[in-house]
Amino acid sequence: MTDTYLRIQGLTKRFGASVAVRDVDLDVRQGELVVLLGPSGCGKTTTLRMIAGFVEASEGRILLEGQDYAGLPPYRREMGMVFQSYALFPHMTVAQNVTFGLRMRKLPRPEIEARLAETLDMVKLSTMAERYPRQLSGGQQQRVALARALAIRPKVLLLDEPLSNLDANLRQQVAREIRALQRAAGLTALMVTHDQDEAMMMADRLVVMSDGLVQQVGTQEELYERPANTFVARFIGHSNLIRGMLEGGERLVIPGATIGLAGHYDSSGDCTLAIRPERARICAPDDPAARITAKVEDATYVGAHVEVLLVLPDSTRVILHDPTDGGAARRFAPGDLAGIAWDLASERLFDDAGAPLAARSPVHA
Amino acid sequence: MASMATAERIGKAAAAPRVAHARVSVAGVLVWALIVTGILAMAVPLVMTAYISFFRDAVVVFPPSGYSSSWYTRIMEFPRFGDALGTSLRIAAMATLGSLALGIPASLALVRYRFIGRGVLNVLLLSPLTVPGVVIGLSVYVAVVETEIATEFPLIGSDIVLVLAHLLITVPWVVRLCVANLVGLDRSIEEAAANLGARPWSVLWRVTLPMMRQGIVAAALFAFIVSFENIEMTLFLIAPGQTTLPISILQYLEYKVDPLVAAVVMVQTLVIASLLLLLDRYVKLSRIV
Repeated sequence: MTDTYLRIQGLTKRFGASVAVRDVDLDVRQGELVVLLGPSGCGKTTTLRMIAGFVEASEGRILLEGQDYAGLPPYRREMGMVFQSYALFPHMTVAQNVTFGLRMRKLPRPEIEARLAETLDMVKLSTMAERYPRQLSGGQQQRVALARALAIRPKVLLLDEPLSNLDANLRQQVAREIRALQRAAGLTALMVTHDQDEAMMMADRLVVMSDGLVQQVGTQEELYERPANTFVARFIGHSNLIRGMLEGGERLVIPGATIGLAGHYDSSGDCTLAIRPERARICAPDDPAARITAKVEDATYVGAHVEVLLVLPDSTRVILHDPTDGGAARRFAPGDLAGIAWDLASERLFDDAGAPLAARSPVHA
Repeated sequence: MASMATAERIGKAAAAPRVAHARVSVAGVLVWALIVTGILAMAVPLVMTAYISFFRDAVVVFPPSGYSSSWYTRIMEFPRFGDALGTSLRIAAMATLGSLALGIPASLALVRYRFIGRGVLNVLLLSPLTVPGVVIGLSVYVAVVETEIATEFPLIGSDIVLVLAHLLITVPWVVRLCVANLVGLDRSIEEAAANLGARPWSVLWRVTLPMMRQGIVAAALFAFIVSFENIEMTLFLIAPGQTTLPISILQYLEYKVDPLVAAVVMVQTLVIASLLLLLDRYVKLSRIV
């Protein structure tokens, strides 16, 4: 097992009666980039600000190399932060911005000069050293913010929505640049974002948060293939959620229809079925593989696939992605009845509390 | 369809300037008339004063019998001109420094901290602006006289009393301008400084105050002018030997209206104007005021 570098234990933040962050546990390995992902107001930014020291934790510990940082003021934490607004010092040049942390540490002048040159070179801004932030483009300002945080050689790099103020076409490129720099420097990094694509592209592991709670921690594949609950299933990628009553371990009864499940579950009662649009296919309503029939409402060719919108008898809407080559979707017109089929590997069933149910192959298959 | 729409748009664009031009010239004349009237209204007193200061006659009559710049060479004949100007500048400078020393920390506290009595302090700091200067002057006068009686220490006419009184009217300006400036600053810039290892004092000294520079300069400017030109309040607090320039002008005008007083006012205006020009070298005033 790899050693934990940064360990967060029971981190909680209360604002009066409301709880913004509830009992967050997280272990980060050295050199790992972990992304906190969630909708706005989920507590991810408050968590990051507690780690940076701008917000005092109500409870919990922040252990870096075994030392508790929770009580330290921000200026003692040795964590370089890149702010969403970049927060560059407007009255200082690029060089003065980048060397600010080094001057605060009273490093000898030659050392400061050397690190300035090295850091500016890393972010390809060597020719901009004497410019003021207002003379730079958004992308360049972002790189200054990154260089300023990297120059102090932080123990942890904190990134707060670092890409959200960039043009859409610049985001991917900057995301890759940040990732490359972080890897090359072997930096441990924590990033906050609400953007799933950004998170998926940059993270070694992700922490999905909602309502101040950690919903799931895992790699992209773990979150996508084995979501811990219905929130993650819906938030990471898309999932069609169908609510119904589990009967006999392998039938989900919804108003007006019964779905024949692919797996057998040792449970009963209210359940939610999650099916990803690209993991199910459309077939003839009388096809023996069809697990339920639905009415086709619309089918749109979007290039990569045909997006089919279907309505179940209980008027739940289901979206399927049917392959454009050899898919069946184009045989159906709006108003037609169609079958929906999927196999055991694509089926996720969650109990009433949102926790996943384990499936085994049906007894009679 | 598309090409037709485009053609139509191009046609409109070509026609537009002519129509717009016609409309602009009517509105434009009105706007210009307003601007010219406004500038004239503001400039007339100054222009008239400058004009009168070059009259040759000792009694202001219109039209003058001739013109002369001799009043400027006789400016020292104005009673205690040098003293009064010196006092005005000295008091204004001290009041400016004092109001910055009080007003900047006060505005930092008001914007950055939530504390009991914050609302009261906010109102208290701005309230002198809502009270007529004469009332403040009279109240300060009564308070100072009572203190003199109690302590048997002569206070009326002393610099310290004048400066303290002027602080009442300069601090609100400093607080108002600095608060406006601080509210507009991105808090995360200060957090970034702390994150990079700056202790609270370093953050204040190297980041917050430099970023407030525009606000502080504007505040100093207003404080200086408000103090320099104050009459109503100062009137109560001067002593026979100790008077500010606006007060001596007022006293002079009670007995005599001649081009000399106009020349004195022009010199006073020039002093202020050159201070502004000097300041403009360091901070672009047009961006602040």
